[in-house]
Amino acid sequence: MEFVATVVILTCTYALLAAGIVILYKAGRVVNFAHGEIAIVGGYVFYSSGMMFSGGEMSPWLAVLGAIVFSVIMGAFIYATMMRRVVGEPFYVAILVTVGIAIVLKSAIIVIWRAQHLTIDVGIAPAIRLAGGATLSYMDVASVALTIAFFIALYLFFTFTRLGVQFRGTAENPLLASQRGVNVNLVLSLAWIIAVLAATLSGVLYGGRAFLSTESVTIGLAGLTAALVGGLDSLRGAVIGAFVVALAQYLTVRLIDPVLSEALPFLILLVVMSIRPWGLFGTVEELDRV
Amino acid sequence: MQKKFVFRGLAAATIAACLAGFSPAQAQDAYKIGYITDLSGPLASSYTPTWEGFELYIKALNDRGGIGGKKVDVVLDDDGLKADRAVAAAKKQTERDNVLGIFGLSLSSTQGPVYAEMRKIGVPVITTFSGILDALPPAQPFSYSTGVVFEVAGDAIGELIQNIKKGGKVVGMTIDSVGGRAALAHNKKLVLAAGGQWDEVIFPVATSDFTPFAQAANEKKPDIVVGHYGSGQNLGVIPALRRSGYTGPYVVASYGVTEDTIRAAAQRAGSGDNIFYVSRYSSAFDKNPSVAEVAAAQKKYGTSKPFSSMHVTGWALGKFAEEALKKCGWPCTRDKLDKIVQTLKVDMGGLTGGPIEMVAGDGYGPTYWRLYAWNAKSNEMEPKSGWVKREAKGYK
Repeated sequence: MEFVATVVILTCTYALLAAGIVILYKAGRVVNFAHGEIAIVGGYVFYSSGMMFSGGEMSPWLAVLGAIVFSVIMGAFIYATMMRRVVGEPFYVAILVTVGIAIVLKSAIIVIWRAQHLTIDVGIAPAIRLAGGATLSYMDVASVALTIAFFIALYLFFTFTRLGVQFRGTAENPLLASQRGVNVNLVLSLAWIIAVLAATLSGVLYGGRAFLSTESVTIGLAGLTAALVGGLDSLRGAVIGAFVVALAQYLTVRLIDPVLSEALPFLILLVVMSIRPWGLFGTVEELDRV
Repeated sequence: MQKKFVFRGLAAATIAACLAGFSPAQAQDAYKIGYITDLSGPLASSYTPTWEGFELYIKALNDRGGIGGKKVDVVLDDDGLKADRAVAAAKKQTERDNVLGIFGLSLSSTQGPVYAEMRKIGVPVITTFSGILDALPPAQPFSYSTGVVFEVAGDAIGELIQNIKKGGKVVGMTIDSVGGRAALAHNKKLVLAAGGQWDEVIFPVATSDFTPFAQAANEKKPDIVVGHYGSGQNLGVIPALRRSGYTGPYVVASYGVTEDTIRAAAQRAGSGDNIFYVSRYSSAFDKNPSVAEVAAAQKKYGTSKPFSSMHVTGWALGKFAEEALKKCGWPCTRDKLDKIVQTLKVDMGGLTGGPIEMVAGDGYGPTYWRLYAWNAKSNEMEPKSGWVKREAKGYK
């Protein structure tokens, strides 16, 4: 039971990250290498916002508000000031920009938060007691519930809203969408906002279970691996990819050697990439674009 | 015309003096020493309080009039836990700042290159933490440490945990590093020698979600779990172990772990029961005049981090530095300072179990270690053993 719970919670963290990566790829053909940094900075912002006016006690409402404001501003800012300028450039230009963003954000953790190890102590009390004495906290339960809610919201948005349909149209054929009057810049800004929001949520949930630090940004690699394994243009694949990575990491710790737990997901990635370069659920025609 | 010429001459002399980096007059005003540590990198939370403890001591010393009327100037550089930055800072401090010796330093990966570079030009280096064995007998020249060497700590912990439970199964946890593995190996040797059983869990350095590793440790059915790593890992491992259902004794090896970290970890874990701590230096909660002196200085001058045993560690290094400079006299040179440090013995009062005592060929000397227990009710550390002494011999 403990095994299942841990893998599910880890899957949720990675799925949120992978979803952001997939959304950005679908919308603008950008592979975001700064997603881990965005997630962890989002977690730091959540923490700092919550502690801002509360005299040592975290205010969850302020924290949530701070995280949402951060996601909107950061997403819009990245697109407006950086990614918009590289539209039409070779794909590797956008990738290099995201690598630059990653470096800047990691430096921000050092400069602004002095590289402190921070934990998000919201909902850490035991909520469920499992057989054998293990416990799941409210934050763990929230991880699963919020991830499910996020994916349902995404589904509803893409299926039933006008903006969601425009988003899908832009993802399918940006030129045609533009000619039909779709505000492509708005759609792409929105893609960045949603991706940053998902990453921030992931960072917050991670900070509630583990801790935030400059080393924590490596969760971005797990998210990227999940997205690549699942298929860069498939949200369903993001969830499955996240599950594969989480399961592989967990089984490596428990059955093989804990030290290899970081390396094994990349081994899986190599295997999947050599058998199905477009990922488990990706579309074949997308392959030439990466 | 002559006035103009004199003015130009003075201006040129001023510029030349500025370009030279320092003036001989400045160098003669004070003892100048260097301090390099990680103030912005991944382990800044561990190293910052140690620097602050050292800084507190030097501030108090200078307020008392310095050494024989000469102040002590400390040139501080941040290595960000990067070896190349640490070496560059050491070169800058020796070539431009003209320091007599270098104190502090961060992780073993930065210590080795700095020790080696400074050895070439004859600058004594005295570290507060030591992941490498350069200072241990037979010590390398110019290499000293007043801190924690993993091998020695592993032995001390192996001995001290017998106070918690004799025999039984001990599970050691560490990060995949040379120092961590060395600490585990020595811890294991002592546990097996005492008739206990041993198992271990080693996880990647960059781990920040410890849940599966804690579950793996718990699955080994330990009687005691010992964590050989820094603050951040303890902050993650302690709650993860408790969440996994392990409620038995957990021992924190004090490699830069502050009491505040333990309080935070205990709070996250939902209980501070059964948390122990092995330290080379006194806890911030110790009731003795020496620790009280550090606490008073912290109140007077202020620090960015809550008062902890890491401040005590830095203060002890400051005390050691003062004694070395005092014996070196005025003017002090690097060679003279090195000769003094080689056989320096400094009474530490109650900062640790005995004096810091170097002898020729041993830049570390005997060390004293103590077991503490976290009192969950008062949120304080309480001694659970006397000080045990470990000689530095036999580790190479």
